[in-house]
Amino acid sequence: MPQEKVVLRNCGAIDPADIKTHRAREGFKALEKARGMTPEEVISEIKTSGLRGRGGAGFPCGIKWEGARNSPGDEKYVIGNADEGEVGTFKDRYIIQNDPFSLVEGLAIAGYAVGARQGYIYLRWEYSYLLDLLRGAIDQARAAGYLDGFRIEVRQGAGAYVCGEESALMESVEGKRGEARYRPPFPTVAGLFQKPTTINNVETLMNVAPIVLKGGAWYAGMGTERSRGTKVFSVSGDVARPGVYEMVLGSPLRELVEGLAGAKDIKMIQIGGATGRIIPYDQIDAPLAFESYLGAGAITVYNRSRGVLEIVGRTMEFLAEESCGKCTPCRQGTEWLVETLDRFRRGEGAARDIGYMQVLADTMALSSLCGLGQAACSGLVDTLKYFRDDYDRGISGK
Amino acid sequence: MGNISLTLNGTPVSAPQGMTILEVARENGIDIPTMCYLKDLAPVGACRLCVVEVEGSRTLVGSCHTPVTPGMVIQTHSPKVLEVRRVLIELMMASHPDTCIVCEAANCCELRLRATDLEVGMPRFRTRMHYFPVEDENPSIIRDMSKCILCRRCVAACDNIEGKKMFSLAYRGFETKVIYDLDKPIGSNETCRDCKTCITLCPTGALRLPMKFGQEKKGPVLYVKG
Repeated sequence: MPQEKVVLRNCGAIDPADIKTHRAREGFKALEKARGMTPEEVISEIKTSGLRGRGGAGFPCGIKWEGARNSPGDEKYVIGNADEGEVGTFKDRYIIQNDPFSLVEGLAIAGYAVGARQGYIYLRWEYSYLLDLLRGAIDQARAAGYLDGFRIEVRQGAGAYVCGEESALMESVEGKRGEARYRPPFPTVAGLFQKPTTINNVETLMNVAPIVLKGGAWYAGMGTERSRGTKVFSVSGDVARPGVYEMVLGSPLRELVEGLAGAKDIKMIQIGGATGRIIPYDQIDAPLAFESYLGAGAITVYNRSRGVLEIVGRTMEFLAEESCGKCTPCRQGTEWLVETLDRFRRGEGAARDIGYMQVLADTMALSSLCGLGQAACSGLVDTLKYFRDDYDRGISGK
Repeated sequence: MGNISLTLNGTPVSAPQGMTILEVARENGIDIPTMCYLKDLAPVGACRLCVVEVEGSRTLVGSCHTPVTPGMVIQTHSPKVLEVRRVLIELMMASHPDTCIVCEAANCCELRLRATDLEVGMPRFRTRMHYFPVEDENPSIIRDMSKCILCRRCVAACDNIEGKKMFSLAYRGFETKVIYDLDKPIGSNETCRDCKTCITLCPTGALRLPMKFGQEKKGPVLYVKG
């Protein structure tokens, strides 16, 4: 299955600093079409398409928009989440670098559908160099009259991974410490400034314009039953051709990793970044879909020269560093795991700690406040299952 | 807002809409342990000790901040819930100093009380400790941040009860700390006066009144199992 370009349709084909080149490729046609429809019709089209959130959680986009649309209140917000912090993802950077206009268009359509007059794009601090390009795209769209009655503001993060989590992101936009909120209330009811809010990943918003133009049924024709459309993958690690690839959902992982990216001698693949799953090579024929593993589409390939404990240990160090520190399981649990995995890496592990790690992983998954803590141990649990020998070798005296 | 019916530990109960699971449970005589929760203040949801099992939910849910919904089926003390609470207490104790024997709060320490209630055994999860110098210059308050379990009661109380906002949070992850001003020790000439609100609410010995030698210890002697 070759690449299929929906999200990346304009990447490389337009000048990201010139709206004219974007308009020459049906740019803002979808926004004009959407404004000729009722907001309910736009939402219905998105629901028909089966588009699910591309940030990792995979929540159905149409249902999210409908929730915010139907929530009482005059003031509503839409947010484009460009805090691409997941380890090993760089798709949103590539998208903004090459086609910022389609992001602006997607957010404007979301704003129209939800009934918001204000939109935000939350850009991670590390992407500061994209700020001028993004603001330029917004200004050009406004000057061309596409953003009448809808204001888009770019807010910059300050370098925290957890601020990519929707509730911490909203806290950050409000100017507070970036910490997760408890749910309910969900953002569609009480989000930014306690108003109904939708937060969509950059890639999700990039899918909106084509769906509006070509219809939800066209989009739903691609992919598998529960994963419609295409997905952009960031492939990195031990591969010959790292980069951004877009494929129809349901394509085999092997096609992407071995075919397109040219990986050889694979030991394991981390799918979905630091909080993602780690699968051994013998599962490489798994489909790339929400039914199996997907996350935000970060694919990190490790060959046989890589040590499992080092990868899991370094991932855990990252998560401990980036934990916001609010809830007990994540704040304390990641620290204990870092220290324990470090002991295993030095060959000073204790056999009983393997059982304790499993107990702790369950507790963190069950009781953490946000996705960071809940998914922090997925790679650890996977490797304990598939690469148990590596852990056993870390036990003191073995 | 009318009443709704739900099932609490297998018993059908009725509760007004908008109430949290914790409030409903307490009204029905079920004690769910809490740490960050303060009655009448907005929930924080940080300690996670009050988690309960709700049928159909992927994870456990914090009972102090989750409103009841019609037909909800709740288990407040299932084996799964109890095991999670035990681990959470162990995690709170993971970096807590082992100085109970000389701690003024020992006899009325909520962390110790909860650990005893939940029959937390030998600690499985020990991490490095925090070493912060004891702040004892202020005549009204002594702060020993090594003992803090980050329940944030002092932050909420100072802000919402006293309206002073002396405390806030800084740093992140394991380094997270309740700070005073821009993370400096509470000195002798600070705005902080002797309202004692945060000291009364602190579940551990992190905040306490300046103690004089020979002063009587507070609270009954705790019965420690095992």
